Amino acid sequence: MPKTKNDILQGTLGLLVLKTLDAQGRMHGYAITSHIQRVSDDLLRVEEGSLYPALHRMAQDGWLRAEWGTTEKNRDARFYTITAAGRKQLALEEESWTRLRDGVTRVLRYA
Amino acid sequence: MSLLSRLRNLVRSNDLSHDIEREMRFHLDERADDLVAAGMPADAARHEARRRFGNVGIQQERTRERDLIAWLDTFAADLRYALRALRAAPAFTLVAVLSLGLGIGANTAIFTIVNAVMLRSLPVSHPEQLVAIETTGGNSYFTNPIWEQLRDRQDVFSGAFAYAQRTFDLSNGGEARRGDGNMVSGDFFTTLGVRPIAGRLLTTADDRRGCAPLAVVSDGFAASEYGGAEAAVGKLLSLNGHPFRVVGVTDPRFTGINVGERSQIYVPLCSIALLDGGPARLEGRSNWYLHLIGRPKTDLTTERIDARLATLAPSITEATVPPQFDAKSAAEYRAMKFVGAPAANGFSELRTTYRKALLVLMAIVAVVLLIACANVANLLLARATVRRRELAVRLALGAGRARLFRQLLTESVLLSTIGAAVGALFAVWGSRMLLRLLERSDRVVTLDLSLDMRVLSFTILISVITGLLFGLAPAWRAGHLDPQAAMKAQSRGLAEGHSRFNAGKALVAAQVALSLVLVAAAGLLLGSWRTLATLDPGFQRDHVLLVTADLGATAIKPELRRAAYTDIVARLRAIPGVQLVGQSQMTPAGQSSWNDELQVDGYVPRSPHDALAWMNAVGESYFASLRIPLLAGRDFSKVDTPESPHVAIVSREMARHFFGSTNAIGRRFRISQGRTYGEPIEIVGVVGDTKYRSLRDSIQPVVYLAASQEQDVSRSYSFEVRTTTPPLSVAPSVKAAVAAVNPKISLDLTTLERQIDESLAVSKTIASLAGFFGVLALVLATIGLYGIMAYNVARRRNEIGVRIALGALPARVIRMVLGEVGQIVVAGVALGVALSLVAMRIVATFLYGTTPTNAPTLAGAGAILLVVGIAAAALPAWRAARLDPVSALREE
Repeated sequence: MPKTKNDILQGTLGLLVLKTLDAQGRMHGYAITSHIQRVSDDLLRVEEGSLYPALHRMAQDGWLRAEWGTTEKNRDARFYTITAAGRKQLALEEESWTRLRDGVTRVLRYA
Repeated sequence: MSLLSRLRNLVRSNDLSHDIEREMRFHLDERADDLVAAGMPADAARHEARRRFGNVGIQQERTRERDLIAWLDTFAADLRYALRALRAAPAFTLVAVLSLGLGIGANTAIFTIVNAVMLRSLPVSHPEQLVAIETTGGNSYFTNPIWEQLRDRQDVFSGAFAYAQRTFDLSNGGEARRGDGNMVSGDFFTTLGVRPIAGRLLTTADDRRGCAPLAVVSDGFAASEYGGAEAAVGKLLSLNGHPFRVVGVTDPRFTGINVGERSQIYVPLCSIALLDGGPARLEGRSNWYLHLIGRPKTDLTTERIDARLATLAPSITEATVPPQFDAKSAAEYRAMKFVGAPAANGFSELRTTYRKALLVLMAIVAVVLLIACANVANLLLARATVRRRELAVRLALGAGRARLFRQLLTESVLLSTIGAAVGALFAVWGSRMLLRLLERSDRVVTLDLSLDMRVLSFTILISVITGLLFGLAPAWRAGHLDPQAAMKAQSRGLAEGHSRFNAGKALVAAQVALSLVLVAAAGLLLGSWRTLATLDPGFQRDHVLLVTADLGATAIKPELRRAAYTDIVARLRAIPGVQLVGQSQMTPAGQSSWNDELQVDGYVPRSPHDALAWMNAVGESYFASLRIPLLAGRDFSKVDTPESPHVAIVSREMARHFFGSTNAIGRRFRISQGRTYGEPIEIVGVVGDTKYRSLRDSIQPVVYLAASQEQDVSRSYSFEVRTTTPPLSVAPSVKAAVAAVNPKISLDLTTLERQIDESLAVSKTIASLAGFFGVLALVLATIGLYGIMAYNVARRRNEIGVRIALGALPARVIRMVLGEVGQIVVAGVALGVALSLVAMRIVATFLYGTTPTNAPTLAGAGAILLVVGIAAAALPAWRAARLDPVSALREE
């Protein structure tokens, strides 16, 4: 796959996943991918290869809770829910994202 | 990620990879569905979905790696690195592994014995169900009439049995050969669920009055006596001179019900009548010698059992009141209640005897392990300082502090694991040696010392704990290293402040303190034992052969026993090398003792205990052969016959206690016989005081009756043979002389010296082990002190070089180094003395003639540690003083 500009900036995937789960509640991995893509008007595309390792890591860190369930189409899927620790982490990452964005914007504007 | 979730992943790694695979398959299916919905053909859609996902295998690996591979990998790397680090410092590794091995090994060895004696369950089916019956007062011995009543009336147990420990004489006359076993009621084997490997076991049908002499033997006994289980069945076995037919052999897994005691032979309870020459002990309502054990019916709770036993008690006691009891005693007897107590561990005389001793040993070896830990921690600290640069480089290259911490801990735990492995070997040997130390010639101790889960977990646990104990401080310090400072610290010319390496100094001081506790304990215990071994017991212990003759198996009629004993004495006296022959019921510090309540006109005892005196029945020249001085009056002689007025000789303490004066000749006393008193007995002699049961006892009143006046002459007597040659040299002639009287007489021979030594065996074992561990502690402390001083001198080479270059005299340099050691040792000694004052209380039971806080012992221990400290520092100090300033300054 050719590198396109809408690949997600490293380090922001976690933020996006946490935000999505915080807003949407219980979701499986595929739905998370689709949701991010849809909400960002296709500006952002989640690289699927990094999504699952990230989900796993976040579950191990206790930010997400994972459990097996069945979709409407009667397929087995792993569903993720955000935990209280995950919400705390989300707040932290949102804040640091805001700082990064402001910083980058300033540099682009004044440098 | 927490270590725990990693470990969890490790355990369920199969589940995990399965999970990941399922999850990714779901993703691919969903993507393909969407693509199909958008108009792509199914085949192409699946292909596209897969293409977008990237390599599925790599994905899986990458996900799992977080949890498992990475962790295992770093662990393996840490382990490799730790091994390399240990190999790089062989001297350090050797000293560390040896001190840990000794520490852990000693702990495991003692724990193996503690486990076998106190913790292991009986080797029978479902030992946890077994219940021992006790009276509410905690007495666990019962009479046979009580047992028979209980057996016939009880409805709580699905099976119940009574048993008693018994030692048999296997030889048919001549010197006795001992075999140990139990007299058991009919339900013994069925209740315990023991199976035979040959023949059959005893049943209720074998246990009836007037029963046939049958025996069951253990598998080991069958092998050593008959060459195998099958061969044993049907053979005749001589027990105390009576032939018993062997009907079966027990399963080798069943090692008996009394922990620690050898169980070789089982005979039915009813055969007491045969063995004792009468049914007295079967009928006797005052013979308390049976343990009662039952297996409750499955649905009964402890409360229900106790309630049932309580309702049973009145009818049982009513039927078994001893006839000689007066109204008050009978009422007390009728009020007796029974309760159930857990019996999973069985009864053990060994346990009662050695409980305290084992606990003291456990405490001693725990201190040894602490010292070893301090020693290794100290070595590690010194090494960590040497490795500062290496660690600093690794930090500077980006190693995480946590990672460094973990690396060093891995090293410590690896060290303690190797130590534990060495220790386990040491423990296998050590626990067996210890067991031999617990034995006496008349008591064979058999314990199951095989490794079980409990011992294994104990060893693993202490090795991990020790690893953390000595590893944490150095690892923590390494984690807080400042790389810049560490790199710079190697530059020269800095006079190191004295406040540095407080941790090392504190550790050595702690080591000195703990060593002092051990040295002081060893001093107290060895001192006590020496006092005991050399004190004057009131008799002379050397050159005396003790001969115990049992006429039980002979056809000699009771009325002819006196003549037989007279004959034996005469023949023994005729043996060349024999000077004197005494005769007595009890021997000094022997296995049995006898006391009675006395009644003396004009003496009012403050308590029943106050009226007790230790008793013996002795023959002519007993006092002379033991060299007990006759202070007043006369010895027994031919004039004392069963018909003449009854006379006694008393000890000086007896005269003083009951008559208030040592001149008691002509005074009279009476001996209690149940609730009444016997005929008055006149005192015809006073002899010196002697120790009666044990050398530890204080001097107590002793009464000697005339053996020649005994009404029903005992089946067995001991003879004190004083020799001019070594006592055992006359043993063959003694055996021949007794056999000439009657070849069926059973004999036990030992020397008085040996009997006394064995009575002190526990004290001796504890004292010598304390001494051994005390020396070990000193060695470890010396290594610790030497290590830290040698290291300090090396570290201060530059500074000392400068001092010498500026004109410091060698004496001054030596003083400086020794001063430093002095501080550490003095601090340690002060701490150790304080610790000893508190800790020494636990050895109090084993002390004699001293107190746990004996000042000279503590001072002596302190002095020893000071000397050791100075000695340890002498070499480094001498090296420092001889330092060549030019070469020292030129370095680096």
